Amino acid sequence: MSAPVPAVPSAAAAAAPVPAAPVLSVQDLKAYYRTRYFGVTRDVRAVDGVSFEVRAGEIYGLAGESSSGKTTLIKAIAGAIRPPLEVVGGTMTFSFLPGSPGLHRASPAEVAGIRWRHLSYIMQGSMNVLNPVRRVKHSFDDFAFRHMGLARSAFWAEVEAHLARVDLDPSVLAAYPHELSGGMRQRVTIALATLCRPEFVIADEPTTALDVLVQKTVLGMIRSVQREIGSSLLFVTHDMGVHAALTDRLAIMYAGRLAEEGRTAEIFARPRHPYTRHLVGSLPRIGDASERKSLDGTPPNLADPPPGCRFHPRCPLAMDVCRREQPAMIADGPDHRVACFAVHPQSEGHP
Amino acid sequence: MHPYLAYVAKRLGQFLLIAFIGVNLAYAITHATPIDPVEQSIAVATSFGSTAPQAIESMRQSLRELYGLTGTPLEQYLTFWRRVVTADFGPSLSAFPAPVSSLIARALPWTVGLLVTSTLLSFALGSLLGGLAGYHQDSRGLKLMGILAMGLHPVPYYIVALVLLIVFGFVWPVLPIAGGSAMNLPQGFNLEFAASVARHSILPVLSLTLVGVGGWFLGMRSLVSNIVSEDYVVYAELAGVDRRRILSSYVMRNALVPQFTGLAMSLGGIFNGAIITEKVFGYPGVGTLLVDAVYAGDYGLVLGVTTVSIIGVSVGVLVIDLVYPFLDPRVQVR
Amino acid sequence: MLAILRDLLRYNAEFRIGLLLVGIVVVLAALSFASPYPPLDVYVVPPDLPPSWAYPFGTTSRGQDVFWQLTVAIRNTLAFGIAVALLSRVLSLAIGLFSGYKGGWIDRVLMSINDTFIVLPLFPILVLFYFVMRDRMTWAMLALIMACLGWAYDARLIRSVAMSLKTREFTQTSIFSGMTTREILMREHLPYVMPIVFSTTMNNMNWSIGLEVTLSVLGFTDINTPTIGGMIFWANQHTAMVAGVWWWFAFPVAVVVMAFVGLFLLAVSMNEYIDPRSRLRRMGGAAG
Repeated sequence: MSAPVPAVPSAAAAAAPVPAAPVLSVQDLKAYYRTRYFGVTRDVRAVDGVSFEVRAGEIYGLAGESSSGKTTLIKAIAGAIRPPLEVVGGTMTFSFLPGSPGLHRASPAEVAGIRWRHLSYIMQGSMNVLNPVRRVKHSFDDFAFRHMGLARSAFWAEVEAHLARVDLDPSVLAAYPHELSGGMRQRVTIALATLCRPEFVIADEPTTALDVLVQKTVLGMIRSVQREIGSSLLFVTHDMGVHAALTDRLAIMYAGRLAEEGRTAEIFARPRHPYTRHLVGSLPRIGDASERKSLDGTPPNLADPPPGCRFHPRCPLAMDVCRREQPAMIADGPDHRVACFAVHPQSEGHP
Repeated sequence: MHPYLAYVAKRLGQFLLIAFIGVNLAYAITHATPIDPVEQSIAVATSFGSTAPQAIESMRQSLRELYGLTGTPLEQYLTFWRRVVTADFGPSLSAFPAPVSSLIARALPWTVGLLVTSTLLSFALGSLLGGLAGYHQDSRGLKLMGILAMGLHPVPYYIVALVLLIVFGFVWPVLPIAGGSAMNLPQGFNLEFAASVARHSILPVLSLTLVGVGGWFLGMRSLVSNIVSEDYVVYAELAGVDRRRILSSYVMRNALVPQFTGLAMSLGGIFNGAIITEKVFGYPGVGTLLVDAVYAGDYGLVLGVTTVSIIGVSVGVLVIDLVYPFLDPRVQVR
Repeated sequence: MLAILRDLLRYNAEFRIGLLLVGIVVVLAALSFASPYPPLDVYVVPPDLPPSWAYPFGTTSRGQDVFWQLTVAIRNTLAFGIAVALLSRVLSLAIGLFSGYKGGWIDRVLMSINDTFIVLPLFPILVLFYFVMRDRMTWAMLALIMACLGWAYDARLIRSVAMSLKTREFTQTSIFSGMTTREILMREHLPYVMPIVFSTTMNNMNWSIGLEVTLSVLGFTDINTPTIGGMIFWANQHTAMVAGVWWWFAFPVAVVVMAFVGLFLLAVSMNEYIDPRSRLRRMGGAAG
């Protein structure tokens, strides 16, 4: 039997919408890839004015195809900003670092105190995230020991208890990463990322590289660990089926901007934005034999995006105003926002 | 079978293959070519002054016997292998009647000492500096070191030894440029002798190290530059792991694996360099022995040194191969 | 191919310097055809003269003009290096491409033999050759022997390129369209392999010239043909160091070091070009 779990809010309380202070608040974030040579500056506008909030204890999903900018968005949030990536405007404020516009502006000491203890990361492609020449226990030692403030023996006891929560035997610690299966490696990463009970965990396509059966188990474990330790989870994947199964709220991203955001059930039941409708409609449903139409065209070149709404070249509802002005994110029902002129004809756009 | 034992068996097999091919090559060169080494030896031995024909004939006979060149080709082949395995190469012509094997045994420790010292030094220094250079890409000092390495690494061993000889022999004569130890000092396990050996080894070791360190530097630098973008390094950085720990445990430790393989592959080349460096500085190792033997037409000694070199380098590579799994735990699964 | 050269010239300082150094050496080698003295003649000028306007690199103790002797020496040394490199390319390409493409037990057997030749210390073996052949060892023979011994390292590099090509789509297409192995290797894979062949040729030249210099310095080659190693050999024979005739050493050494460093830089810059990550890093990633 694992070690006694600390008291957590009851399941009912966690499910009801709680107007608590957000763990992460992103305001009008702009992050571009800037290359300068021969005196010409080129910007790839991977994230171009994104605003949203993640509340305490919720699983917030971020969906979108590749080149939607979602990878850049989480890189910016996690503070993994290296040239040529630059944060050009906006803020990302965490509840545990109030007043700071984001990790890219925080001092090294602040960042060192936050990383892993308050903000952790589950990466895609568990193949290679652990040091291949050292045993698994060294990763736990390197990543987590200094944050826990425990004596060595107490630390390892806690680690073993935590491993049990993801159904892993303590013998895993003495193994090398290549000796574990893909699913086991990913469960180790989950345990590693949640050991210090951070308030905020970013999960970047954590199950994409796994086969379907293992995927189901791992997703279930992610959810149960998250509920137990009460952290917020920003879950990024292009797989709408996973969002439907896991997330509380969901945001749809397209070409560097948010198209729609709301409670997951609502998004799937009544999608408003044409792009969301296409994504939701593309999910296969048992018994539904209707033909699926694919979307014309390709995602825009983010170095030279189309004027107005980024989606208009492929949108079946495109109007004149869509080609000139960008729609703003406007509320459309409780806890639901859309950026579309077809939904809100009178909205003022950002140029 | 335990995976490590399976690995050992494989490496032993490779070692035996190398020794087999190498020794056969030596056999082919000496026995299968139309030129007769005995005639060559006689030619050199009789080149100064005149020798009576009967003397030459008896010399020829005894040399043939001594060198195992009598009998059918099969007998010669078997004799050759028997001598290699028992390390019996006959007497040395230039130091008659001292057996070749004793001459080699006396010279070998000097060569091994030189090789081990300079290889360890250049590998450790080059890898450490190269790793730092690959990680801290903006450091000016390290960039400068890179340029020096690029200028020094392609220069062959002989040229560096020659330049050092000129500099320290004639321009700034502060170090001994010949011999393994001071000539009037008897060999023994005492401090004075050890100090003398150390002083005399400075220049040969320096010469070999200068050439070698550049190569290890450049290799490590390029390995580290690629490893820095690997998932496990990025992940550790995202986790806020201490930078020094990332450099040592995640970056360098992983770069060391292919770097170590490079060590096994370069051992032959380093050995070649050691031989010529010994000759330049008159260092009493197998290199000087080999070259002097050629000048003297001493067939047995030349063949003996060549065979011992082949087997010695193969043993060295085998040792490195056996250590390798301790560096890279993945190798046992393959 | 021209586009590659243009890119290298523009972005890669090492390539420019390497090209410059090799260029100087080639010019010197070409000048040898204009030499006023027959290269094998001795005592054609007053011996042991230090560098001056009349004799820019001085004269040797054998009465030869160092400058003109050097031009012939570097020409012969370079020619030898090129010969060995070209000959061993044949073996390296044949074995590397075949082994990498076929895979399986053929690959394992070939690579075991390959590793044997990488490990074997070639210098003692070459010395043994010399001992047995003595005066009958011609340059052509030495080049052939070195080519037959020195293909192993490069064969491995070419093999890894071949292995990555095997899994590419166009190879599958070629197989399905019925091309023989030989046709696939020669027509489809060869162009991709050329850059690494180029850089390994430079490295191989360095290796063979280094061995030639070392052997000649010891007198283990035909020392009547002027080569860089041969010049140093004669300088040693006449104890030039003690006699203070430093120019007899200095200029051959300087020119051959230029050749080594130049060839090495060319090889390194070509290698960097092949690796797309380093190419991008050089060309555009740098901000500001």
